[in-house]
Amino acid sequence: MDLCVFGVDDGYAEAIIRGLRASFLTEAQYQQMKNCASIPELKSFLEETDYQNCLQADNPQIPTSILRQRLKKKLADEFEYIEAQSTGTLTKYLFHLRCRFMIDNVVNMIEGLKNKIDIEILLSNIDPLGWFPEIKNIKVLEGDDYSSLYRDVLIDTPIGVYFMKFLEETLNDIQNLFREMKPEYIRTSLKKMWLEDFYLFCEQELMPTSQEALLELLKFEADFKTVQVIYNSIGNRDLNTAAKIITTRKQLCPTIGNLYPDCEKLYLQAMTLDALREAVKGCDNYRDLLKDAPDPLKREEFNVQTKTLDDIMYDDECRRYALAFDGQGSYGVFYSYLKLKEQEIRNIIWLAEMISRKLAKNHPGWKKIIIPFSHLGK
Amino acid sequence: MSFFRSKKMRYYSLVIPRESAWVVMNELARLDQLHFVDYDPQLPMISRPFANYVKRCDDSIFKLSCLEQLLKEFKKNLIYCENVDSLLDYFHQVQYDRMKPGHTYFDELEQEIDQKKIQIQEQSANLQNLLDRVNIITEQKLVLENAKEILGQSVFQQQTPHNVNDYQQLKFGQIIGVIDKEEEVRFKRIIFRVTKGNAWVQIKDLNNQQVDNSMRKSFHLNQNNTSQPRCLFVIVYPGADESSSFRMKLMKVCDSFNRQRIEYPNSMDDMQKKMIELTQQLQEAKNLIEMTKQQLEQSLDGLVLQKQGCNCSYFEYMRLYVLKEKYLYVNLNYLTMRGSIFTGYFWLPEGLELVVEEKLRNAMKNNRDHYPTGQIQELKAYLYTPPTYFNLNEVTMPFQEIVNTYGVPRYQEVNPGLFTIITFPFLFGVMFADIAHGFMLFLCGIYLIFWKKSLQKKTDSMFNQMIPFRYLIILMGFFALYNGFIYNDYLSISLNLFGSCYSPENEEWKKESKDCVYPFGVDPVWQASGSSLNFMNSYKMKLSVILGVIHMLFGILMKGVNTLFFKNYLDFYCEFIPQLLFMICTFGWMDFIIIVKWLNTYENNTDPSIIETMINQVLKPFDEPVNPVFPNDPQFQLRVTQILTLIAVICIPWMLLPKPLILGSKHDNHKVSMSDSQYQPLVMEKQVSESDEDNNQQFQSDLQNAANLKSFSEQNKEEHDSGEIWVHQMIETIEFVLGGISNTASYLRLWALSLAHGQLAEVFYDMCLAGKLDAGGILGGLLGGYFYIVFALLTFGVLMTMDVMECFLHALRLHWVEFQNKFFKADGYLFNGYSYKKILNDNLKQANSK
Repeated sequence: MDLCVFGVDDGYAEAIIRGLRASFLTEAQYQQMKNCASIPELKSFLEETDYQNCLQADNPQIPTSILRQRLKKKLADEFEYIEAQSTGTLTKYLFHLRCRFMIDNVVNMIEGLKNKIDIEILLSNIDPLGWFPEIKNIKVLEGDDYSSLYRDVLIDTPIGVYFMKFLEETLNDIQNLFREMKPEYIRTSLKKMWLEDFYLFCEQELMPTSQEALLELLKFEADFKTVQVIYNSIGNRDLNTAAKIITTRKQLCPTIGNLYPDCEKLYLQAMTLDALREAVKGCDNYRDLLKDAPDPLKREEFNVQTKTLDDIMYDDECRRYALAFDGQGSYGVFYSYLKLKEQEIRNIIWLAEMISRKLAKNHPGWKKIIIPFSHLGK
Repeated sequence: MSFFRSKKMRYYSLVIPRESAWVVMNELARLDQLHFVDYDPQLPMISRPFANYVKRCDDSIFKLSCLEQLLKEFKKNLIYCENVDSLLDYFHQVQYDRMKPGHTYFDELEQEIDQKKIQIQEQSANLQNLLDRVNIITEQKLVLENAKEILGQSVFQQQTPHNVNDYQQLKFGQIIGVIDKEEEVRFKRIIFRVTKGNAWVQIKDLNNQQVDNSMRKSFHLNQNNTSQPRCLFVIVYPGADESSSFRMKLMKVCDSFNRQRIEYPNSMDDMQKKMIELTQQLQEAKNLIEMTKQQLEQSLDGLVLQKQGCNCSYFEYMRLYVLKEKYLYVNLNYLTMRGSIFTGYFWLPEGLELVVEEKLRNAMKNNRDHYPTGQIQELKAYLYTPPTYFNLNEVTMPFQEIVNTYGVPRYQEVNPGLFTIITFPFLFGVMFADIAHGFMLFLCGIYLIFWKKSLQKKTDSMFNQMIPFRYLIILMGFFALYNGFIYNDYLSISLNLFGSCYSPENEEWKKESKDCVYPFGVDPVWQASGSSLNFMNSYKMKLSVILGVIHMLFGILMKGVNTLFFKNYLDFYCEFIPQLLFMICTFGWMDFIIIVKWLNTYENNTDPSIIETMINQVLKPFDEPVNPVFPNDPQFQLRVTQILTLIAVICIPWMLLPKPLILGSKHDNHKVSMSDSQYQPLVMEKQVSESDEDNNQQFQSDLQNAANLKSFSEQNKEEHDSGEIWVHQMIETIEFVLGGISNTASYLRLWALSLAHGQLAEVFYDMCLAGKLDAGGILGGLLGGYFYIVFALLTFGVLMTMDVMECFLHALRLHWVEFQNKFFKADGYLFNGYSYKKILNDNLKQANSK
């Protein structure tokens, strides 16, 4: 039923997205990018693609950070355009998507301010997708704790809710601990809350077709997060006791997804990679995914060549998003578009890094890009 | 004959030494007759030898467009180039006077453009900075004035200690500043939260936009400024201590809103001083702006100025030169570089070889360093289909465009464009037949032709877009007029121009004399008779079928001409002849009996029905017709129809069987394939001439390149199994036989549209004019005027625009489908001449339409 009426409100926005599908770089183009010998060459190559307009005014020797900023800006502009064309549920939905970037931005700002980086630099580095007006006021934080940051600035913002929950959860700890708390920890728990909230939103407000596509994606994303948390906490020196590990894990793992709650007990207590593999074997193809992951206990031996867990997961994620993108009449297409474009930007930046470091062409790092939609042909 | 068939093309290779590549290409571009073939279409543009130059040209064009933006902002009117030829001559002259290698001129221009852009942008940035500065100063002034109002005099006195009797030594500090208007609410909230309500915030709008605008106006600048509306804020908080944490926090909040804070003077005197100071600064800044603006305008004027000997602005001159240069390098990229020479291939219309060589010699002469220039050598074009090239003029262009929209004619095949020139307007005229409407269209065409020059200057005129089609319009108008006379239809009224053969007598129509014939068109008396519609319908219907069959027969004849021209005798005997016979024996015969029926008089209701006759001819081939068309000789009719039917039936297997059979046997013998067998000779030729040792090697590599190109011979090489041939031939046969019937029926649209047109015109006339004009008196006059206006608008809106469009589309369809499917292959590609003139003309239009 909802397929019949999908087009009434959301047809135009979807059509735009489908049109933007053409802007993705193709495998042949990636091949050409790999052949570029220098950054100016890469830039002039990108000027022949859809990224033309956002780079034209720049100096040919563009630093990667600015390049990233430009590419992101383009994505943000497109996204904003679509947001402006949307109505009703879709607007809310798209806004939810942006919250993830806002969280990133806030945490980055906090981290930067802690490290005494100048606010102007921080502001120029924020992700344009997650921009909101209050972000510049975070400066007030300097020398304060998070609760006052929340009270003074973030309370009105869309992500204030998550912050509030976060503060409530950690309120049992001593105030001082806040200041010492790792931003990475804040980020993970905030994102966990966002994910759960978004999941709830999708479950309650979206039409069945969209739900079907999105819940599937979000479940995987939640599982991805869970596995990441567990994986990274294995052998982590900061968490020295088993009890502490488990409480931390419990705080950080999302309470949705295929793994929760069936495998929760198992994975919370997994202290080695093998145990983790064992814990997730019941679900989907996770065991296959984890099969190739390097052992986190040998973290010191990792280098550029290692195909990390993230790479493996991103690869699988990309496949899912590409599939979801081709699904008709669902909001999954917006989510996938965003994710795949992010992946594309990551690829370009990665290649730009490789090029600027002038690595040999047979270096394994060149293969470390995941090309959106390349999975579909196989 | 170059319009009947596309021009014969020759394939040449061009070899130019690296040093003179630019000179040679520059010369050749003036010739307009070379069609360069991309040597290796797979090669990405970025890895071609001159990719760098193309990029630089693009950059320069980008810079120029930045400058153009500024020019527009300052309302400088460029003089656009109107005559490309003289501009090209001027380019040439400039090159000649420089006494330096030609390609270096671009370097100079590039530098100049770069300089100009930097200089002008700097100046405009300066101007912008100064404007901002003035804005800030005025803002400060406004802030101080407004703050004074809000805080009042007592603020200054507060500095002195309060009465000792106060139970608390209350002091207040204040922060004053400016924020963006849209942040007003957020600002208030954050202040409230940070201070927990212990501060007093007052916010007031500064009308800075108005001030800004009025200032810009005073300098004659563009008024669409970008400044946001701003607000003044005043925070008063307890505790005047400069270093209290409370104050620090507030300061931080204010700073994070990114707008400046303003120190509020401590006393009245300071205030006064500050105000005077600001006024002075303002005056200085304003003077500076005036100066900067003058400088900027000077630089911009330099761009607008007409260069000596050149008929356009310097800016336009640079823009076109860079475009030209880019075009040259893009084409040069089609060549390939081997060591120090460039090699490439191009098509040239036959007979121009000498001209090209002359050009090359010329290039040598003009070349200061006397490098050897290029050489051309004719090659046999085995692998490529030549492009289709017609020499078009302004009359033939729209008609060829009609054909090309459907498909570009195959190289050297009969070009339907030639016939379209007359048949298209004629068929349109049959549908749009009305003397008055046709005449209006004709007048429109005349207007476009004779007032072309003055129309072209009005860029926004609707007629402007119709100019290229003016000859089409005038012909359409002419034929509509002509057919209007034939149908004798003037806004649905018949004209009695030559005197009708009938005259009313005692409520009866009486014929003047027995032999009286109305000299031209339909006798107007028909309109007065009750059966006018029946008569006209039958007449128009038959007429359209006759026209249709003639049109289609002509198409089939063109197929014959094509097969003879390409020496494809198999198609001639096994397709063309049976098709022609089939058409003549069925619908040709039908046309014939229609005309016979017109010429004969039948008595006692024995007039034959054409449709019945045609059907019986097939269904009852041995029965004598009941109402014979030839009343005197029914036996003769029977015999003729029997023979014709027999021939038509035989034609069907004739079309179907022999061709695949012959091809099949050939296929087995020679392994040479079928289908577009016109190109067989070319393929054969290739196999023979392999002996040409010199070129052989080169060709091997070309062969590989050409593998990517779409070419006929490639298709030929594919093995067609006989099944495919059979299916193909079956489709062709069925399409032709069934198509013969349905296409003939399709021509009935000539009648249907003309009927629709006539009926619409009649309705408009009846509803609006008929009877309404008779009423007398002032009221009657007014009403008549009103109805006339309605009539005129309806006639214009419905008949002169919508119906013209409709008839146009139907005429288009009759040509594309019914006519062209008889012979037209339409799989050629257009000749794309390497010509400065073309590229510059294209870009001129853009500039004008902006």
